[in-house]
Amino acid sequence: MVGLKRRVLLGNEAIAWALLQEGATVLSSYPGTPASEILDTVIKLKAVLQLRVHASWAINEKVAFEIALSNSWLGGRSAVMMKQVGLNVALDPLMSAAYTGVKGGFIVVAADDPGPYSSQTEQDSRLLALFAKIPVFDPSTPQEAMEMVGRAFELSERFRIPVMLRPTSWVCHARQGLQLRGIEAVEPSLSLEKDPYHWAAPPRQRFRLHRELNQKIGEIAEEDSFSTLGNPEADLAVVASGVPFAHLRDLMRSLGLEDRLAVFKVDRPFPLPRGLQGLLRRYRGVLLLEETYPVMELQLSLRDRVHGRLDGTIPSEGELTPEVVLRALRRLLGEGPLGEVPRPPEGSRSRLCPGCPHRAAFWAIKEALPGGIYPSDIGCYTLGLNLGAVDSFLCMGASISLAEGFYLSLKGSAGEVPPICATIGDSTFFHAGVPALIDAVHQRASFVLVIMDNGSTAMTGGQPTPASAEDGKKAVEMEEVVRGCGVEHLQVVDPYDVPRMVKAVKEAYRFTQLHGGPAVVISRRPCPLIAREPSRGVVRVTEECTGCMSCVEETECPALEEGEGRPLVLEDLCRGCGLCVYVCPMGALELEGG
Amino acid sequence: MAFRVVIAGRGGEGVLFVTRVLAEGAFRQGHPVISTETHGMAQRGGSVISQVKIGDFLSPMIRYGEADLLIATSEEEAARNLIYLRDGGKVIRDSRAGGPYDIDARGIAYELDHPRGANLVLLGFAIGELEGLKPGPFEEVITELSPSRWTQKNLEAFRRGLLHRGPKG
Repeated sequence: MVGLKRRVLLGNEAIAWALLQEGATVLSSYPGTPASEILDTVIKLKAVLQLRVHASWAINEKVAFEIALSNSWLGGRSAVMMKQVGLNVALDPLMSAAYTGVKGGFIVVAADDPGPYSSQTEQDSRLLALFAKIPVFDPSTPQEAMEMVGRAFELSERFRIPVMLRPTSWVCHARQGLQLRGIEAVEPSLSLEKDPYHWAAPPRQRFRLHRELNQKIGEIAEEDSFSTLGNPEADLAVVASGVPFAHLRDLMRSLGLEDRLAVFKVDRPFPLPRGLQGLLRRYRGVLLLEETYPVMELQLSLRDRVHGRLDGTIPSEGELTPEVVLRALRRLLGEGPLGEVPRPPEGSRSRLCPGCPHRAAFWAIKEALPGGIYPSDIGCYTLGLNLGAVDSFLCMGASISLAEGFYLSLKGSAGEVPPICATIGDSTFFHAGVPALIDAVHQRASFVLVIMDNGSTAMTGGQPTPASAEDGKKAVEMEEVVRGCGVEHLQVVDPYDVPRMVKAVKEAYRFTQLHGGPAVVISRRPCPLIAREPSRGVVRVTEECTGCMSCVEETECPALEEGEGRPLVLEDLCRGCGLCVYVCPMGALELEGG
Repeated sequence: MAFRVVIAGRGGEGVLFVTRVLAEGAFRQGHPVISTETHGMAQRGGSVISQVKIGDFLSPMIRYGEADLLIATSEEEAARNLIYLRDGGKVIRDSRAGGPYDIDARGIAYELDHPRGANLVLLGFAIGELEGLKPGPFEEVITELSPSRWTQKNLEAFRRGLLHRGPKG
């Protein structure tokens, strides 16, 4: 992508490009859909252009935020990138940094996932910008996201305030043909200007910082940050930001509505430009199009003519697709209801990849501890739900605290405590599992913890974890961390060795029964998608097969299909993990070339 | 030019790759493009769709009944996503059913000893059927984006699709 002036870029690539073009020198992130490719791209560009920037995957979003913020305090332009629920993890430093302020331009990229497609919630990060009292830009397209990066840095430096850039999935994962400017190396002069009034203000001083913050946000609200389109003389208006504006613009063109509506396209939904409030008074009706919460709507002083989420014109959940926008427009124009938005029939559900080591680990857990409680966590392995091996996922790291809580509650109740087996991925374990594990050890909570260690953050594209030794980084050994948490029983097993994996889980459970406290099994095998190892062979169906289809049903392996009376092995997909060989009750499957 | 394409398949079938090639190839011939693609959880083996809009558009999403072309890796995925197609729009499917725009892409890919190239057979066929897009820039993009060991096979798959005759002759 380097050296060319015109390219089709993913929104996240465009944001990465703009951050570097605008001179960011520290960029930190924790991977999460839809934000992951921003830092992926920064790291690639850094290598290709030999930039002297610090670009790193942090252990979690809070740490990422603080690493980027410190560079800003030293005077350098900085950015931290995360998905919306990652911002919950970083909310603590965000709230405080709004008070302390910044020095070098500081951008918080929080990528939202209306729908949601790949998240636990469809929360609106703009509302957290309002909560923290920092300005937020809401791009409609990759092109606009690029332009807003420069504006956000400028605003951040002028008011010494963190600024949020809030793209949504269809900005992050839209591709658009773009004109690119070159990236030039910058070398900011950095020093920590001792400023205890801001950087080290004790509680009693924070009142003054809060007043400063309120002044800043009040002044920013005076700056217009919207454009007027359509027909300003019409008697109906639409206020739109983000991707819904893009839908609106395309719809107005294809339906010929340009003369019938005034459109105010807002770039900065918080603080809502004060000038906009007055302009809206002359319209008979005003429709708000924004995702996913009524952030602009709540700031409007005129309430009687406003249509949006609060009066039910716009549904309060789900993304604002062009269909939803069309229905809202028809209603505003008094053209009658269009009825419910149709939905295409459900497609085939997501499932673990062929050869995924998680599949074998889940099967072994169910075999070793049938009838157990299985709290799980955030990652590819949530798909263990399909296999009946996942009972819950809440948020990063919660598998361990939930297992602890289930144990402590059930122990105190009448009746037997069923086996409890938590599962968590390696990256998620480092991110938020470690404090939970220490707590479980301390409380002597008895459960089995299986850490599914595939050597990467697989769901988001295989980013490194603290256990990776890439680029001269120190690899933090997971075994040492687990033992350091105080865990007394630990085994490391290759889940492809199914009998051994079953045995290890049983032994771990026995330990918890005999000695109390958690026992850990590290189920270790690299993600085949990311390690790109050659296939280990292909499974053959022999004459012994009775066509019971246990292999198809119990593994949900994409390489196995129900054929005519017998399972069918899709040879180009089979990776020869051999799990189905163990699953088959007739012993009718064989691994060839393994 | 104003052209809207929906590409439907399952995670792992190369829908993303085809989307990239289509968008970049069209952009290199001077057309503005904007497209969507599926990432993350939704990508793991489940049904995925991409949408590509060529022309003066801002939104990457296609409204139901507005797509000019639906490219699908199977009959099921085609049926599921017909809702996107406009009246008179075309469906290019990987199928042996013998419909006007059906092509046995998987069969051709196996013939080429390149089972994963079925996606590019489909794309080649689609480009051949479209008015106003030259194949050259797409081949250029395929060459740039393919891992070197797949480049030749991918180009062959694309060309086989391109040469396939639909009802246009």
